[in-house]
This record gives sequence, structure tokens and C-alpha cells, in this order.
Amino acid sequence: MKHTNPTEFERPHPMGELRTAAIVIYATLMLLAVTIPQSVVNWLADMNGNPVEETALRGAEVLRNLSQRAGVATGYQRARDIFIAISGVEPD
Amino acid sequence: MLFPTIEFAVFFAVVFPITWLLNAHYTWKKVFLVAASYYFYAAWRPEFTLLLLVSSVFNYGAALLIDRFKGRARLAVLWAAVAANLGLLGYFKYYNFFAASLMNAFAAFGVKVGIGFIEVALPIAISFLTFHALSYIIDVYRRVLAPTRSLLDIMFYIGFFPHLIAGPIVRANKFLVQTVGPRDPANIRLGQSVFLILGGLFKKVVIANYLSTGFVDGVFRDPAANSSLDLIFGMYAYALQIYCDFSAYTDIAIGIANLLGYEFPQNFNYPYRAVSVQDFWRRWHMSLSSWLRDYLYMPLGGSKFGTLATCRNIMITMALGGLWHGASWAFLIWGSLHGLALVIERLLGVTGEHGAKKRGTFATVLGWLVTTQFVCLAWVFFRAPSTDAWLGYFATMFSGRSWSTSMTPFVAAICVLGALSHILPPRWFVTLEKRYDEASLPVKVLVPFVVIYLISVAAPAGIAPFIYFQF
Repeated sequence: MKHTNPTEFERPHPMGELRTAAIVIYATLMLLAVTIPQSVVNWLADMNGNPVEETALRGAEVLRNLSQRAGVATGYQRARDIFIAISGVEPD
Repeated sequence: MLFPTIEFAVFFAVVFPITWLLNAHYTWKKVFLVAASYYFYAAWRPEFTLLLLVSSVFNYGAALLIDRFKGRARLAVLWAAVAANLGLLGYFKYYNFFAASLMNAFAAFGVKVGIGFIEVALPIAISFLTFHALSYIIDVYRRVLAPTRSLLDIMFYIGFFPHLIAGPIVRANKFLVQTVGPRDPANIRLGQSVFLILGGLFKKVVIANYLSTGFVDGVFRDPAANSSLDLIFGMYAYALQIYCDFSAYTDIAIGIANLLGYEFPQNFNYPYRAVSVQDFWRRWHMSLSSWLRDYLYMPLGGSKFGTLATCRNIMITMALGGLWHGASWAFLIWGSLHGLALVIERLLGVTGEHGAKKRGTFATVLGWLVTTQFVCLAWVFFRAPSTDAWLGYFATMFSGRSWSTSMTPFVAAICVLGALSHILPPRWFVTLEKRYDEASLPVKVLVPFVVIYLISVAAPAGIAPFIYFQF
């Protein structure tokens, strides 16, 4: 009778782990960029402004406008206002 | 480039896929990761990447030379290499301190000595870089490790960006074996890495930052202007702040390294649960304390030559460990105090957690109480910017002047959150990680998104650099 190492059955498929990790990382970053778009705009606006960064900034501004129009971005500002009111920390 | 920034998120979003795409071509993967790490380091001061390169090349050559020789010549090469590494560290970090101390010492005897100061910026993370380099050449000397023929491997080991700035200190013999072939993606522990990163972000961005800006900075800036109660609160708040700040960095570093397929050692294990100072050092900055034990305390003789020699070795190790944190008398006093506490514990027969458990609940609680008070009091030396500052801090704190407090309910709530990191049972976090690993893909995405979103909602306007960056 052939003996097989039981851990071979238990071991998750390696590429499956990597794929899941990649999905978690990129989906999280995408969701954050869509729901807090102003942070990406601020970050890019602080840069030197070479052509690539200028293009990225324009893209981020388009994303922010779309997000605001869809009402997704307003949730963050409301939540931030509530937090500032409750905690008493200084507004940005 | 700080971990909790958009800049780093974008950096990692680029590094992650390229690292795994190059996994089968692991030499190219290392070339890429070295380039990425140098870019990461250059974000502070580009010219100091040269220091990283010089250190890697020098220690690569030194290890090969050590391996070539036998007997005294081998030891001589080791000493020369250690002296060169420490010389570089000394030049950047300690020269002005020793020059000033020497001049003050001569001045005390009425002798005027003029020693020129140097005006040079301290390269970030130079101490961590030196410890990694020393670990490599000493292990080669001890034949724990064969010297690598690949300069690229040494550049990768010393410069790998997750540990480069503030640890954990990864041993050469534990890391270099991970560089010899492709990494297995099955080694990614997603749940553990995600929770280390999320927990680290929360500890740094919310707890450490608010404790620092909302209370600790104020009381340490002008102790005399505060009440005794505020200074007592400030001492405990700083203890929480430094834990949340430093453990956050290494937790994120461990999580990021694991997502790239590499293993780093654990660096913190609930240090404020320690029941003796010895136990504290087994739980606080574990990679540094084990480094000091293996590369300083043991070569000095450890505990092999009687009580007196053991106490001397403990004092030397802890004093130098304190000085490693920074070129000032306050750090030296901080390290020496810990050394003294360890010596007293040894003389009294107080050992670590295991010994305390045998002594029963009362001794354990008493041990925890005494250890925590000692550790928190000692942190005042660590945080105070000068001798006058810690003298003033203790004078006001023990004067019993005014028992009112300026701590806001919000800062008090943050303190409670910080304390929860030690109060909640460790098994809860393990269960959470397990549940996360078993969850569906949408849940796996939603958890980090919601947590980071909430952290962003509660985050202060700017992120302060990590405390340990200066070391």
C-alpha cells in the first residue's frame, strides 16, 4: 500500500494563496482610493509634477469627481466630522 | 518612506507582483528587491545609499577573508572588520558625544581641550545596518555560517527594505538560507500578515500618534509646568506610546516580508506582562536582546565565570545596549539601570516567567507590579531630551505638587485602547486570524478595507516618524 504524506492533502494550493493575497491587496487599495479619493489627490498634488505625476493627478481628480457624484466619497468626510466632534481633536 | 503612507502603499503595490513574477528567476528577483530596497532607503537621503553599498561590499569581503584564514589571523581579520563597522557607527553616531564628554571631563580638572565637532547628518538606521553586518561576519567566524560567494545576497540581507530601518534584527544564518532559491507562495500566511499590518497601522497611526501629540510631548516639553499627576500619567502614556510605535513598525515589517515570501523573527511578546526585568527583555525587542546576548554577553564570558564576572558582563551588555539607542548620558543611564535591575534579580534569585509561576500568584502579581513600575520609570530617561529634563521631570513628579490633570477623556480612551493590546488574551488574536483565513474572499477584502478606512477616519493630520528611526 502506498503511503502518502497527509500534509500534501492539507496544504493549500500555493498559487491559490498568492492569488488570494494579490486580490486582497489590490482590492483593498482600489476600495480605499474610491472611498477616500481626496487623499490620493492630495498626495499627488504634493509631488514635483513631472508629466507622469501630472497625468496621475488628473486621473485621481477624475476619480474623486466620479466618487463624489456617486456619493461614495462623502461618507468619509461625514465620518471624519463625527469623529472630530466626539473626540475633540483639532480639525484638519 | 513611512509604512503608513500612500507613498509606501504604491511602492508595495509595485514591488509585490514583480517579486512574485520573478520568483522562478531568483537572481533577478534579488536584483529587483535590492534595487527596490535602495530606492526605499534613498527616499530619506539618496547619498546614504552609498553607505549601504560600502557596508555590504566591505562585509562581503571581510567574511571571505575570515573564512580563508585560520587561528590568530582569522581572529585578527574579525577584529579589524568589527572595528571598521563600529568605527563607521561611532563616527556618525557617537563622535560628537564622546568629543563633548571628553572636553567636559578635562574642563572639570581645569584643562581646556579643543576637539572639533563634525557636522554630519546621522544616516537613518545605521545601528540596525551595523548589527546585521556584525551578525554576518561573526557567524562566519564562528563557522555557524559559510560565507556567501554572492555579493548580491549580502546586499539583499543587509538592505532588504522591511527590516532595513528599524528591524527586527534578522540573523544572517536565518535569512541567507531564504535567498538560495525561489520562495514557496504556500508560505504566505495571509491572516497573520494582514492582522500584523492592520494591528501595526492602528497602533502607530491612532494610539502612538495621539498619545504623542495629545499628551506625552506636552508633559515632557516642560515638566515644571505640569502637575505631578500629569507627569505620572505622562510616564505611563509614554510607555504605551513607545510600545505601540516600535512594535507597530516591526509587526508591519514582519507582515510585509511574509507577503513577499520571507520569514522574520518575532520582536515583541506582550512585554508589559513581564513579571521580572529578565522576563521583560525576553519580550521586548527580542531580536535586539538575543543579539546582545549572543554577540556581546556570551563573548564576554556570560555566566560561566562566577557571580561577580556575570554581574559585570550584565552591566557592560546593558550599558552598551542603552548607548546603542543613542549618544547621550540618558540612554547610558537607562541601559545601566536595566543592567542593575538584572543584577539585583540574579543576586536575589529572581528568574523569568517560569520561576515566577513556581512561586505562586502573589509573587507573580508582585513581580509584575514591580517590573512594570521600574520599566515605566526608566522610560523617563529614554524620553527626556537632556539631563536637566529628566531631573526636572522626576523632581516635579515626586514633589506631589497639584493632583489635577490636563489629560482629556479622548487621550484617556486612547490609553485604555493601548492597554487593551496587553490585556486581551493572545488566543483571541489567533482565533481572529484563523477565522479570517477560513472566510470567503469578499470578507478577506472587506476586513482590511474597513479597518484601514476607520483608521483613516480617526487618524491625526500628519504621521510622525517612528521613534526607533533615530537609532
